[in-house]
Amino acid sequence: MGTSLRALRALVLLAGFYLLALVVLGVFVGVDVAAWMRAPAVAAIKITAVTVVLGLPVLKGVFALGASKGGEEHGLPVTEGRQPELWRAVRSLAERSGTRAPDEIVLTGDVNAAVSEDTRMLGLLPGRRRLYLGVPLLTGLTEPQLHAVVAHELGHYGNADTRVAGITRRGRDAVQRTVEAFQEREQRAVEDERSRQERAAAKRLRKGKKPRKVNTGGAGFGYRMTAKPFQAYARFYLRATHSVGRQQELAADLLAVRVAGRDATASALRATAALDAAHDHYMERYATLGVPAGVLPPHGEVFGGLRHLLADPHRQADLAELRGELPPDELSPYDSHPPVAERVRLIEELPDDGMAAAPARPALELLRDPERVLVELEGAVLTPEALALERVEWPELTHRAVHTLVQKAAQPLRSAISEAGLAAGLAADDLNALLDAADAGRLWQVAGHLPKSPEAAQATGRAAREFLRPALEAGVTRLAELALVERAGARWELSWSAPARLVLPGAGDVDVADALAAAVRSAVADLPDTLPLRTLLTD
Amino acid sequence: MRIFPILVLAAMLFFWLRNRRRAAKLAREAAVAGADLLPPERQNTDRAAADPEADAMNAALAQGTWEPAARALAAAGTDWERRSCLVGAAAARAVEDDTWLQAWRAAHPDDPDAAVIHATAKVWVAWEIRGGRWAEDTTAEQFAGFHRVLREAREDFERAASLARPEDPTPYLLQIPLYMGLGAPHDALHELWAEVTSRAPYHYEAHWRALNYWYAKWHGSEELSRDFAARAAATAPPGSLLTMFPLLNWYETHDDKAPAEAYGWPEVTALVDAALADVAAARPDHPRLAEVRHLLAYFLTKAGRHEAALIQFRLVDGHVGAVPWSHYKNPAKVFCAYRDKALKGALGAGRS
Repeated sequence: MGTSLRALRALVLLAGFYLLALVVLGVFVGVDVAAWMRAPAVAAIKITAVTVVLGLPVLKGVFALGASKGGEEHGLPVTEGRQPELWRAVRSLAERSGTRAPDEIVLTGDVNAAVSEDTRMLGLLPGRRRLYLGVPLLTGLTEPQLHAVVAHELGHYGNADTRVAGITRRGRDAVQRTVEAFQEREQRAVEDERSRQERAAAKRLRKGKKPRKVNTGGAGFGYRMTAKPFQAYARFYLRATHSVGRQQELAADLLAVRVAGRDATASALRATAALDAAHDHYMERYATLGVPAGVLPPHGEVFGGLRHLLADPHRQADLAELRGELPPDELSPYDSHPPVAERVRLIEELPDDGMAAAPARPALELLRDPERVLVELEGAVLTPEALALERVEWPELTHRAVHTLVQKAAQPLRSAISEAGLAAGLAADDLNALLDAADAGRLWQVAGHLPKSPEAAQATGRAAREFLRPALEAGVTRLAELALVERAGARWELSWSAPARLVLPGAGDVDVADALAAAVRSAVADLPDTLPLRTLLTD
Repeated sequence: MRIFPILVLAAMLFFWLRNRRRAAKLAREAAVAGADLLPPERQNTDRAAADPEADAMNAALAQGTWEPAARALAAAGTDWERRSCLVGAAAARAVEDDTWLQAWRAAHPDDPDAAVIHATAKVWVAWEIRGGRWAEDTTAEQFAGFHRVLREAREDFERAASLARPEDPTPYLLQIPLYMGLGAPHDALHELWAEVTSRAPYHYEAHWRALNYWYAKWHGSEELSRDFAARAAATAPPGSLLTMFPLLNWYETHDDKAPAEAYGWPEVTALVDAALADVAAARPDHPRLAEVRHLLAYFLTKAGRHEAALIQFRLVDGHVGAVPWSHYKNPAKVFCAYRDKALKGALGAGRS
């Protein structure tokens, strides 16, 4: 297909969307007119109100009303005055990409870079441009790699690319925005209906009546129905423009290669995939580990702590492996991106451009006063609840967080011990009571109070015991860990390369896990021997 | 002409009455001829044949006393058929409650009998955890427990084998269900099988367990299980009862879908006749003789060879804990139904 043909098709597709919107709105107007002519005034008012409510999302999609509000991501806007070097780099990249520089740069907390534009007039006129840059991306990429990523994003809007792609992209944005507006409203309607019904149920309960079941099936029905033709059109549109979307991605890659170099572009794609995995792991196992215990790392470390993980030698080896083998992405019909592995292959097949990836400084150094930026970013993206949490240093956070998790994990066994009438108070006392029961041959009587799956509940004899053994073993291990904390002042130690380990004071770097596991196993064996565990706890 | 319908009616009435009289007579005769046969409620569903020694052992085990089990195993000595039978019976008790076994092992930590019973019971506990459902209806918890306990059992069997007499096949042949559960590859099973057959080339239970592994529903195929059973039957000396396995394989593979007349087909008849000759040649105290007679009785009844079937039925009557009856919800009722069919068939055949 030639450029003009593609341009025509893109315009027809976009026009189709507006035609559809007009038809839907026309039907609403027709219904209203008929209602005012035929129906009594009260009914006509009601019908008009309904059509207006349902028609709003359509108008919103067409004229992009409030789109900039809905599409905005949480982030920290940085001005040119505050971050001159970053702005200089972005401006230079825009210039070399042959496109207009963004009007705003917003730093975010995820492994992503994106450009958005508030288009006007049926999505055909350009609007305000925003560049979103994930701080984790700045943390994990080198400067040339970041150049490649930003150049790719700017390339999507580049005049040097094709105007057609721009129209297609704008069209896709408009269609998607409409569908999303409907979904948002439908969800809100369902939630409103739920809370209304829950309030009613609570009221009935207060009056001593049986509450009705909450049923939100009817709410949002109108939105769902009106959204249907737009969803269908969105599917059609996305499929029809899919190949264009792919070409657009590849074209943006080529632009990035031209601006930042082949090697930097390919390595940026590889590094981003690995960084994504590392960041997920970091957020789950480090940054938010203390949330159940009510603690966060020190100010600036929620996003800044990723640097410690990336600097760890063990992790670096893992990351190098991840960069080496790219996962084959599954293709979704809605995804305009070709698989990363394919993009990397295509880029690496290009001839050498002499811009070999020389050792370069981390992209984070583009920022002036990065520590302050990291602190401010927390204020911009964390929820008020998260911001209200206590801040503690990493070692303290690790101990308190794991301690809380272990307490929670030990709870089923402690409940079982108390249900068996052996409750004692402290974890060490609970454990002693359990070990005494084991010595008296009553271990499985206590274990019988642990929560059971239906299969476990049906089992008899030794099979029933074996169903419970994993939970019992885990529970005793957790309980013993708590006892070691209580009695011996053991602490969980932070490690940037592995999960936290329980370490006894004065024992140096010795991990108690192996000795503990062996002692627990013999304590819950068919012929229980509680001595090793008792010794371990008293030594 | 008007009389014609009346004649037809009269003829119908005559034949109906005659059939009824004959059926009643046959039932009376059957009641006389089968006076020695037991009703369903008096059939023992736990065993294929009477075994007072095993009964005594079980009674003692139920009391928590392990010494009679040790004595029975000592008496069995190198009768490997009897040994695996007794080990199986004791292990079945230990699946429910193994307090006595713990006491036995505490008193004699290096006892080879207790060790092999312990290992065998462990495998059966694992199967109990897994349950008998298809893989998709088995939960992750069940599979995790199944595999964990099987891995433990592997160590227990290593110990049992190291304690056993070098010529004892028991700790090897009872490992076959373990290999089946862990999905051991064919090569591994061949290795284990060599350990078994070098010690006992024609062991009945070993072949039974190996045949299970070779079924298409486990780790083999229709072809592999058929060949395995055929080879065993062809190479074994008469009286070793391995002719049971082609028959058993045919039953497990075809019984559900085969037409009734399939039981009279020449290839099935040949399998049945080979098993009949084997049974006749077997030593009378072979622990598995009754099992073969049960399946033979079923095949002979299905083939309409009622007199031959009745002979087998009479030899095993009173105990129904065997294939095919054990596959049904009420084994005693099914056994008696087939037995009575054979009895009436035999009487009817005698008159005509």
